[in-house]
Amino acid sequence: MEQVQFIGEHLAPGKLGHFFAILSFVMALFGTFTYWRAAATENKDLTSSRSWLLLGRNSFVIHSAATAGVFFTLFYIIQNHYFEYFYVWRHSDLSLSPKYLLSCFWEGQEGSFLLWSIWHCVLGLIVMFTAKGLESRVMTVISLVQVALASMLLGFYFGPDIKIGSDPFILLRTQMQDAPIFSQPNYLASIKDGKGLNILLQNYWMVIHPPILFLGFASTLIPFAYTIAAVWKGEYKQWLKPTLVWSLFCGGILGTGIMMGGAWAYESLTFGGYWAWDPVENASLVPWLLLVAALHTLVIFKATGRSFIITVILMSLTYLFVWYSTFLTRTGVLGDTSVHAFTDEGKALYWHLLVVLGILMIIAIGLLIYRWKGFPRVKTEEAINSREFWMFIGSFILLLSAFQISITTSIPVWSPLAKAITGKDVAPPADVVKHYNDIQVWVAIIITLLTASILYLRFKTSDNKTVLKRLGLTAGIAVVLSAVMAYTERIGDARYITLLFGCNYTIVGMIYYAIKVQKGQIKKLGAASTHFGFGVFILGVLFSSYNKEVMSINTMGIMMDFGKKNASENARESMENVLLYKNNPVVMGEYTATFLGDSTAENDPRIFYKVAYERRDTATKELKESFTLYPDAFVNAKGMEENSMSPNPDSKHYLTRDIFTYVTKAYDPKMKKDDTSQFKSHKVHEGDTVFTNDGYLIFAGLNPNVDANAYPHQPGDVAVSATVFAYNTNGITDTLHPIYYIRGQYAYQVTDTLKASNLYARLENIIPDDKAVELTIKQSSADDDYIVMKALIFPYINLVWLGVIIMSLGFFLAMVNRITKKEKEKAATA
Amino acid sequence: MKRTHIILLVLVAAAVTIIVSQFADFSTYETFASASKEPGKQYHVIGFLDNSKPFEYDPVKDPNHCTFYVKDKAGNLSKVVFNGAKPTDIEKSEQIVMTGTMQGDAFRCNKIQMKCPSKYQNDQVVIGNAS
Repeated sequence: MEQVQFIGEHLAPGKLGHFFAILSFVMALFGTFTYWRAAATENKDLTSSRSWLLLGRNSFVIHSAATAGVFFTLFYIIQNHYFEYFYVWRHSDLSLSPKYLLSCFWEGQEGSFLLWSIWHCVLGLIVMFTAKGLESRVMTVISLVQVALASMLLGFYFGPDIKIGSDPFILLRTQMQDAPIFSQPNYLASIKDGKGLNILLQNYWMVIHPPILFLGFASTLIPFAYTIAAVWKGEYKQWLKPTLVWSLFCGGILGTGIMMGGAWAYESLTFGGYWAWDPVENASLVPWLLLVAALHTLVIFKATGRSFIITVILMSLTYLFVWYSTFLTRTGVLGDTSVHAFTDEGKALYWHLLVVLGILMIIAIGLLIYRWKGFPRVKTEEAINSREFWMFIGSFILLLSAFQISITTSIPVWSPLAKAITGKDVAPPADVVKHYNDIQVWVAIIITLLTASILYLRFKTSDNKTVLKRLGLTAGIAVVLSAVMAYTERIGDARYITLLFGCNYTIVGMIYYAIKVQKGQIKKLGAASTHFGFGVFILGVLFSSYNKEVMSINTMGIMMDFGKKNASENARESMENVLLYKNNPVVMGEYTATFLGDSTAENDPRIFYKVAYERRDTATKELKESFTLYPDAFVNAKGMEENSMSPNPDSKHYLTRDIFTYVTKAYDPKMKKDDTSQFKSHKVHEGDTVFTNDGYLIFAGLNPNVDANAYPHQPGDVAVSATVFAYNTNGITDTLHPIYYIRGQYAYQVTDTLKASNLYARLENIIPDDKAVELTIKQSSADDDYIVMKALIFPYINLVWLGVIIMSLGFFLAMVNRITKKEKEKAATA
Repeated sequence: MKRTHIILLVLVAAAVTIIVSQFADFSTYETFASASKEPGKQYHVIGFLDNSKPFEYDPVKDPNHCTFYVKDKAGNLSKVVFNGAKPTDIEKSEQIVMTGTMQGDAFRCNKIQMKCPSKYQNDQVVIGNAS
């Protein structure tokens, strides 16, 4: 093949980066081997084991350095806009502001594996220095997983079809060999800019959410590695404390990461909420649920020596589900069922992830069978009034809940099998949210009810009298609180009232427990505050979703059957978008919203739509409050269809609720010249209704006594006026009196207008045979700008965020408590 | 048998019953023809937007009403009514999944999911233009 000398390429960083990637892989492999040798020779030959251990440490340090090298090289080429690299060209462009440069990492598959791997290195280095007797085994597992991750970046071909990993430093001209442009030596001159970063990722939450979530995912490795190490060694004492500490860390970080995703969805996506039971969300929730269950059984094991086997199983499941989630979300297997648009990354990754999952599964199950007989067990039965008994049940329910979520999420995975057996092509439930809520609300009820009850109990056995007294008191206060809340928040559904009681029961119980049992000692409040946060969080979820209200109800247009229970629900479903003409106030709930125009800012590709909200007293019309929201949208952005837009919401935050607004459609500047509003004719009988943009009109009849001053009256005229009542969502607003008169042989009309709605009504003709009139209506003028928008109210959404924050703080408090406790004991033994 | 084991069995049995009973929620992928056999029942239909027919959406008239034509996997064309604002980039979609019911001659849907062409294919078009 003829060699072309290309001009202007920067090949050195790519070669260096690829070298780092290979080094990282080789060192991970070597680390696994040496750490494994260190573990294997531990009991036979201490000196040799020591040398293997040192080799292992060095390889892991070099591996970490190499992984960091890949990371910084990739960052370097992105920062310098070297578009000869495919990754840079595909995920960034010149206009990208510096704060989003890191976001390019998680837009691409290679970058996100790299990020994951980097976190493993950081955590691995900490473990290396703290694991002590278990170091060789824990680090063997960590290194092995690093082999799997490092192999994702190799980009090696074995024959034309088998490819292992994907090299982030591949050149654009290599990636797209067939394009004729790459036969020109100076092809770079015509590639001036990259494709750019997905606009959904250009959001501050997307700078912080992925690193935290990946840290959460990465941290699940540590408890798993410790568990495997302990089972491998057959020694379960040393294992306890570090596993507990790391599980608490992981629970806090992963939980925070997941809910940061929720915050991102709430602030920049337009499905109107923070959680949609989307498969990608579920995929990260399931490992968290399993981890929390494992954490609780581990606490049981520590206190009583029971529940060992289930702890090992749950710890293993947690980690296996992390990889299963990666498989679900990264390979495109979810396909049609997820709104998170991860594109299909190809068959290579599919098999790669399956192999990794298979190896991890074989290791976990193999060790479990191998050591089964020697596992610690307690022969006796636990007492019904013991903490461990109920805690075990709670953990088990979390496991079942995780399974339920997983089964539905995995429909695309098992549906081919179902099709082969039943012949039916199974699809996700038509109403996904209802499907999950039908079960998970009950899970939440059980968990909230168990939470407070369990902390009142003691391990092994409890004093029934004290417990019952405390339970009674807590339940009593909770009942009163729930009754008040159910009444003020108009919660009528029995299931949700039960959940409301559960939340209050947990909240009251945790406060009581913190003050009465833990005597308010900050260090000991980890459990109390985590569970308190959980109660607050569920309460927030309950209020914000149960009373979520769509303000932008469009009372016009066509009503449609959405299969809802009654007509009003159908109507609501079909009319959640409302049209706002510029400077034309529309009533929305207790507010009046006015679209005041759009604006752009320098260095910002977005268009901001200015919407003013006003609230007036219904009786006195006195202005109560006013504020302006600026929902924005990327319009005709790079990579988008012409005339398309990607909106971002804006919210007015109150302590007790949010008013959430986003634009679903805006006028097209190019189309502006077309007359969008012409007089439209309606033949109406007395009592008939005509719909307008922001209300409707009712023709109430003709009136022969026309006030002579209402039109240029002349003697001999025959005049009638029509009485037309105008309604908007709040009821009747005005009355229109268009006039029709005959002067001589000719008919004349006098149009009546309704200024507030820009509405023109004309009595065009009278049809005596039909007892009808012809009414023509025109609304707004031709050059009006408009937006179509949706406005929602989320009551008490702040409780959701508050709950999450308290919960995370609780996890860290508990973690710190466990760490310091360890030091104390060490000091005692020294 | 220990008490815990009995409770576990009961819990698992209950969970299996509940989860299996929830299988009734699962919808199925149908074609327009098979969906019209049971009008009013919610189905998923996978199809392709027919760009040769007009996509009607006039927010001035009704911001919650779109009408367009979709060819399903069996190749049958049907009118589709979507009550909502026009989904962004729908013209560009290579496949759409609609959730809704067949009513008369039109498929009325309340949810649309689109599969847009992968960036990679998109890239090639741009390269073609550039050279």
